[in-house]
Amino acid sequence: MKGRLVKRIGLLLIVLLLVVFPHMSGGSGNLSLLEQVFPFAVFAMSYDVLIGFTGIVSFGHAMFFGLGAYAVSVCLNQGNSTTGSLILGFAISLGASLVLSILVAMLSLRIRDTYFAMITLAVGQTLFVLAGSQSLRDVTNAGDGLTILTPDWLTSDASIYYFALAFLVVSAVVLARFVKSPVGQVLKGMRENESRMQAIGFSLFRFKTMAFLVSGVFAALAGGVYAVVQMFVSTDVFSVSTSLNVLLMTIIGGVGTLYGGVLGAFIILFAQTEFGNLAGTYPFLNHYMIIFGLLYIVVVKFMPRGILGYFYTRRGRTTWKKSFATSNKSTM
Amino acid sequence: MSVFATLLMNGIANGALYFLLAAGLTLIFGLMRVVNFAHGGLFLWGAYISTFLFTSTHNFLLSILMGVVVSAVLGLVIEKLLLSNVSHNGNAQILMTMGVMLVLQELVKLPFGQDEVSSDVPAFLNQSWVVGHVVLIQYQIFTIVLGLLVFAALLLLLFKTRVGMVIRAGVVNPELVLARGIAIKTMFSLVFAIGAGLAGFAGALSGPYFGAVTPDMGMNLQLDAFIIVVVGGIGSLTGSFVGSFVIGIVTAFVSYQFPSYAVLVDVGVMAVVLLIRPNGLFGKQEVTS
Repeated sequence: MKGRLVKRIGLLLIVLLLVVFPHMSGGSGNLSLLEQVFPFAVFAMSYDVLIGFTGIVSFGHAMFFGLGAYAVSVCLNQGNSTTGSLILGFAISLGASLVLSILVAMLSLRIRDTYFAMITLAVGQTLFVLAGSQSLRDVTNAGDGLTILTPDWLTSDASIYYFALAFLVVSAVVLARFVKSPVGQVLKGMRENESRMQAIGFSLFRFKTMAFLVSGVFAALAGGVYAVVQMFVSTDVFSVSTSLNVLLMTIIGGVGTLYGGVLGAFIILFAQTEFGNLAGTYPFLNHYMIIFGLLYIVVVKFMPRGILGYFYTRRGRTTWKKSFATSNKSTM
Repeated sequence: MSVFATLLMNGIANGALYFLLAAGLTLIFGLMRVVNFAHGGLFLWGAYISTFLFTSTHNFLLSILMGVVVSAVLGLVIEKLLLSNVSHNGNAQILMTMGVMLVLQELVKLPFGQDEVSSDVPAFLNQSWVVGHVVLIQYQIFTIVLGLLVFAALLLLLFKTRVGMVIRAGVVNPELVLARGIAIKTMFSLVFAIGAGLAGFAGALSGPYFGAVTPDMGMNLQLDAFIIVVVGGIGSLTGSFVGSFVIGIVTAFVSYQFPSYAVLVDVGVMAVVLLIRPNGLFGKQEVTS
């Protein structure tokens, strides 16, 4: 009980810090980094619902992120950047991600999980090709990407910052509730022991589809916010490397910890920006993907629970020791 | 009609090349239950090494051989170093091999750069004939023959040798094989090396086949190989063989009409197969409710 209170106060402090941050920092460089971190943090958390709480790996999660980003961008572009078109864009990304997640789940979740990673990779690739195809140039501007204008109230740095932050906080609360809900508990049960949950009478397919759906919807909304933050969207949002980036964010932060995704998103995006800055002086940093790949292998091999997960396990161990020691004393 | 026959020929040659890649993938999965996401990386290394060697030495046989050997050794190292101690954890294997894929793909860019490197067809294979109205390209025929030979060799290995018997037994019940005193871990390594070598072989052949090698081709062909094993039923060699030619032919015909849409149609084919037969054409029943 005490631990939970500490955690809540800690989270509240972090949120407060982020709220006052724009007033403290002078440069807008830090702000633009955080603006990017917020949607990616939600993206990573949505991914954690899948890999951390359900135990299935997707290599095509960027399909939702890209879908959201493109839905919002296209709507803003076609609707002259009105508030209505922004809302419509998010509504479309919500609906489209629901449909897409159900379709993919129908194809892949009926069979064993190993198919899932392959099929999501393949479906993600088709969306990448579609977004860049010449026949859709009128809508998506093909490989050149779309520059977008946001509604008037959402043009200043501060307003975009708070928009993204609010999105992060709301999503974090909703996802945390979902993970703790009865459905979330069933999903965790399936992660730990699939056949037992099946034997108890839970439909694997139905619950996994549910997790995939929730995860897909939040990824799509995160994509929409990302488009607003960047004011630009290109086929990159659909690429395999986007899927792999979010995977890396999730496992570095801590699989199955939910908030780990926020930490992971910050670390990866910060590293990416820094590598980009330093690449001028040290050209080999242009190949920072090698470092990311190695990091990936090292984390999976030596720190499978990620940074936050590592602290959680440590804390669990020490509290257990303490309570064991005190209970021994009391009996003596 | 002549366009049709030429495209069909292209498709069959595509299929033969895809099969080399898919066969390794399906062999590894069948025995070890590992979906090797580094397969495209091994393919890529085979492609670059043999292209580099052929350009510098002009010895075709040597370049192909080195492509195969390097990929097989790489595969062995990956299996020994990274996979053997997470063999119980499917997700860790998937993540680990994908990390290796990333590293292999980026390492290739260090010496060779992001752009494509052209790759020549050796003179003695660089002919083409027009028979009737059909164009026959010697290198394509060469690829098809090799694909068929590898299929035959794998069937022989699996069904006519003792090693093959052990592998087939390991697919059904690895614990029992171990209990009989057979070192199944050595078998795992052997199969992984064979699969990796096949990926390298496919890569080595693909340079002259496509006329150039690019850092992206590993991931792209890996995608095709995944679609193939899902269509054919993962773990089934015959399924991969049939799936390769289905996808190869579909790719050839679609590419002729709409060059960049081949992957869309391939995924469409995969979706239809999955809806009708969730385990693929030749896969064993493993549907969850």
